[in-house]
Amino acid sequence: MVQLKQGQFMQAVGNANEINELLRRYGVKFGIYKNGVFNEQFFPFDPIPRVISAEDFASIEKGLVQRVNALNEFLFDIYHEKNIVRDNIVPEDFIYISKGYLAECEGITPKNKIYSHISGIDLVQAKDGEWYILEDNLRIPSGASYPLIARELTRIAAPQAFEENNVVDNRGYAELLKETMENANCGGVRAILTPGRYNAAYFEHSYLAELTGSVLVQNDELFVEDNVLYHRTYSGGKTRIGVLYRRIADEYLDPLTFLPGSLIGIPNLMEAYRSGNVGIINAPGNGVADDKGIYYFVPKMIKYYLGEEPILKNAPTYLPFYDEDMKYVMDNLESLVIKDVAEAGGYGVVFGSDLTKEKLEEFRKTIIAEPRRFIAQEVIDFLDLPILDNGEKVMRKADLRAFVLSGEQTKVWASGLTRFSRNPDSFVVNSSQGGGFKDTWVLSR
Amino acid sequence: MKRINFYYSTKLTFDDYVHNHSFALRVIPPENPTQKLLSCSLNIDPYVSTQQTSDAFGNNVTAGYIKGDHRFLDFEIKGIANVDNTQYRTDFMPCYLYQSQYTAPDDDLKAFYSEIRGGCTGTVTERAAYLCDVLSDKIEYGKGFTDTSTTAAQAFALRKGVCQDFSHILISLLRMDGIAARYIAGLAFCDGETHSWVEYWTGDHWEGIDPANNCSINDDYLVISQGRDFRDCAVDRGVMFGKYTNQMQLVRSVLS
Repeated sequence: MVQLKQGQFMQAVGNANEINELLRRYGVKFGIYKNGVFNEQFFPFDPIPRVISAEDFASIEKGLVQRVNALNEFLFDIYHEKNIVRDNIVPEDFIYISKGYLAECEGITPKNKIYSHISGIDLVQAKDGEWYILEDNLRIPSGASYPLIARELTRIAAPQAFEENNVVDNRGYAELLKETMENANCGGVRAILTPGRYNAAYFEHSYLAELTGSVLVQNDELFVEDNVLYHRTYSGGKTRIGVLYRRIADEYLDPLTFLPGSLIGIPNLMEAYRSGNVGIINAPGNGVADDKGIYYFVPKMIKYYLGEEPILKNAPTYLPFYDEDMKYVMDNLESLVIKDVAEAGGYGVVFGSDLTKEKLEEFRKTIIAEPRRFIAQEVIDFLDLPILDNGEKVMRKADLRAFVLSGEQTKVWASGLTRFSRNPDSFVVNSSQGGGFKDTWVLSR
Repeated sequence: MKRINFYYSTKLTFDDYVHNHSFALRVIPPENPTQKLLSCSLNIDPYVSTQQTSDAFGNNVTAGYIKGDHRFLDFEIKGIANVDNTQYRTDFMPCYLYQSQYTAPDDDLKAFYSEIRGGCTGTVTERAAYLCDVLSDKIEYGKGFTDTSTTAAQAFALRKGVCQDFSHILISLLRMDGIAARYIAGLAFCDGETHSWVEYWTGDHWEGIDPANNCSINDDYLVISQGRDFRDCAVDRGVMFGKYTNQMQLVRSVLS
């Protein structure tokens, strides 16, 4: 384990309540819909950082760059030649039944062939120190703003902690994001599109807009004319938008291409995009690559596109779609974790060990009836991290969302969002499931 | 080969002023080995600057934006095309093998397919003709029972529908039978309005079949747009703002 100079650092721990109070005041909240009602809930911050050594980070970094590069190649291939299907590496069904595959995006080549500009890759560290990839998020991964603002407040609360320890400054995220946006820019200003303040990540949208000098916009301020995207200015004029970092889902993006009833989209945005007049971050259609069913194939993609051995491992995964895997899943259901490929945010995750005998049998039938809908994984015994619970240190499950940005080069942000479960018996750390977060410190040496 | 003069117009009228009106038209027939355009002109009133692109399915998209107040949008397209069905179209996409929004079968439609699948043998063309036959026996042509939002499953439950519904049900059956199929919106001599039919993939090219008339297509059919189902082929789609409560659409088409 990494040794930190604890002396001054305990100041931050002692000031945890003050930091949380400040976060509350800054509006660092997480909104969730439950039973149709919107609730904004505070996303609790734990002051004990996760610390990653320079050496460990260097290896994670290499592995993440490799993975995201392969995923970008995959997306280009799927929306063009589809060689990976023709060469029988990925079965056709997994592509075309995936809800994330959008036939409307066939043949579109985004600027510089980058589809996933901002990738949120979720990892866990096992007790033996090995890191495993849990899932890829290539659509609208959120969460980068939380460690950013938490770091800023911790710096105020315990400045000495950063003098004593060699922590890489994570404020570079703004510059990295700006660079990435500029690389996708087709000529015009940078804009961040938010569905509005009732969105779970509204705080993040406004914060990132401020940090990157982008315009924060909602759809009713935008229009497409002559296949160019414009922002309506207060004086009645218009400003061209060259790159749109949109924080709304693909199917709502353009009511003339996708869901006709979308009230948060921009009509004819896809025409402007197809014409190469605006960059969209991330590219529409990316869902086909972060589908839980496709996850299984990512190590194969790395070999196929890059001719390299995967540096980071997947959690051992089984696809009931394959007979052999189905047999294994049926024989070991009570010890596996089963995930519904269509769900996200920690929903649709079932631990076999939590099920009663009857439920287990019922679930077995569901899997046999719809083998394509599920993946099964071994439960990884991941490393517990210390958190403060009413002033006492307790150990809880935690994961890490690493942010990988693809601009001229693919770069990993030397920080990340560490999420933990507040419930001692739970492995699910998603913020929508009531977890909390920590800052992630990457040491420079 | 046949030379066709085509004309098609739509008048869209609102009962109050609208503004910030974005639209996307799929009205210019795509050029391909079976149809060549000798001339084609599109007029839109009120005058608006437009841009042309080609979408994922090979359709010509005309996009425009009218900022100011207006109460109508009219467009008419006329031209001359050579249609030659001795030529083959080969623009295959794997997505045509999979059910889409309008064609996804419900339990009834699945049961119907299982009932009749025994007779579905032979070449792809024979299977398609067979499915088209059983469909004609099962569904009655009738206007006013369905609309543009009716799915294959809904029309099948009614046992009634127009060309759009026949196409959706046939596509659903073909895809259940493992045959790739696509929806075609176009103009045909048999019809005074726009028509719809189906193309199925033989293994190396597309063949057209008209389920509403239970016949194969010939040089009397002009393709305007194509896609997985009606949704990809809508002749006009638009979003506008205003206090209108009603819009009227008048469509006229002529082939000669």
